[in-house]
Amino acid sequence: MRAAEIHPIPQVGISRVIGLLELLDSRGGSEDGYRLARDLNYPLSDMLNVMKAAEVLGFVATPSGDIVLQPLGKQFLESDINQRKALLRERLKELSLFSYLVRLLRGQENCSLEREVVLSHLAMLLPNEDPESLFSTILDWGRFAELFGFNKDEDRFYLDQQ
Amino acid sequence: MPLLELKEVSKSYQRSASALHVLEGISFTVEEGEFVAIVGPSGCGKSTLLRIIHGLIPPSSGQVLYKGRQVDGINLECALVFQSFALLPWLTVKANVELGLEARGIEPAERERRAAIYIDKVGLDGFEEAYPRELSGGMKQRVGLARALALEPELLLMDEPFSALDQLTAINLREELLDMWQSPDLPVGTIILVTHSIEEAVEMADRVLVMGRNPGRIVGELTVDLARPRRKRTDLFNALTDQIFSMIEERG
Repeated sequence: MRAAEIHPIPQVGISRVIGLLELLDSRGGSEDGYRLARDLNYPLSDMLNVMKAAEVLGFVATPSGDIVLQPLGKQFLESDINQRKALLRERLKELSLFSYLVRLLRGQENCSLEREVVLSHLAMLLPNEDPESLFSTILDWGRFAELFGFNKDEDRFYLDQQ
Repeated sequence: MPLLELKEVSKSYQRSASALHVLEGISFTVEEGEFVAIVGPSGCGKSTLLRIIHGLIPPSSGQVLYKGRQVDGINLECALVFQSFALLPWLTVKANVELGLEARGIEPAERERRAAIYIDKVGLDGFEEAYPRELSGGMKQRVGLARALALEPELLLMDEPFSALDQLTAINLREELLDMWQSPDLPVGTIILVTHSIEEAVEMADRVLVMGRNPGRIVGELTVDLARPRRKRTDLFNALTDQIFSMIEERG
């Protein structure tokens, strides 16, 4: 669990990533990233971020500014909503940041932690990221995948037992 | 008999000196199972029209018939999805979805059962105890959609539901809505979608009603005879959007 091994994730909601996959698919599975941004009137830096998120998840490859739908991305699109969640869950477990959090939570009583504690872990692991917004993104992906849950009233970040 | 029929519906508001005509002489029908889009520039009164169909506000003149009977007060066979999501920030996702059911006097056990079904359908499993503030725009609108669907309406009314969303998020939600509408286990058969986006109207609907403004009225109508899923940027698709654009330009 050395900090150097943990990679950050692009701070992008999962709905945008899915939207990108659908857009890409409707254009034959491959497109120039700059052109997508221009056609959608989408800020290029935001588009690059969504592309990076989709790449981190293994749904697309981005050779030299292009963006190419990968078999896993295609499989995701062809799945129904609950299969999509299961597929994303398996992918997230393979990401260093999420697997760190999974192991961290498994080591706790009730497999849960207070938000503040999670934020301090994030701040130590990834000092260049804003821990609060990183936590939001982790929650967005983690909840969608039914991997993590968070109860604000009980201040409890936990492993979703599904 | 059509599911919905509007006959010469007009709406005006009396100002001190003159009357403000918001809608004038609106007549059309919607058949059961149809997906109809109402497209028009901002200020053409399309949102007002949607609320008149729902029975939230009465027309100044004309008639709204639902299954041949005049709508008088809120039509409980309809549910509305808002552009602004209209979620209560102090309630969880689950409580927000149950809200409409509570208002209709449905028992707690049935409320829970239905909320669970539609939370699952819109992809919100895992978000039940989240508060709106913790959600992205896309997830917020899924809540808005689940809340409307939980009422199991025959007619779903959508007021610019994708306009407040990021473009990529909107692509995602449009696709999911079409998937749900086409699946046989969804109780909603008929949808009226209000939008200012011509592309969105042509992508989604079987039929597009085009509105102009000052006063708001129907200036054209067009059937979209394209197989789904529809590809944008094809010649046929572009021809339809061009046609709508010129209707608004010339008569709007």
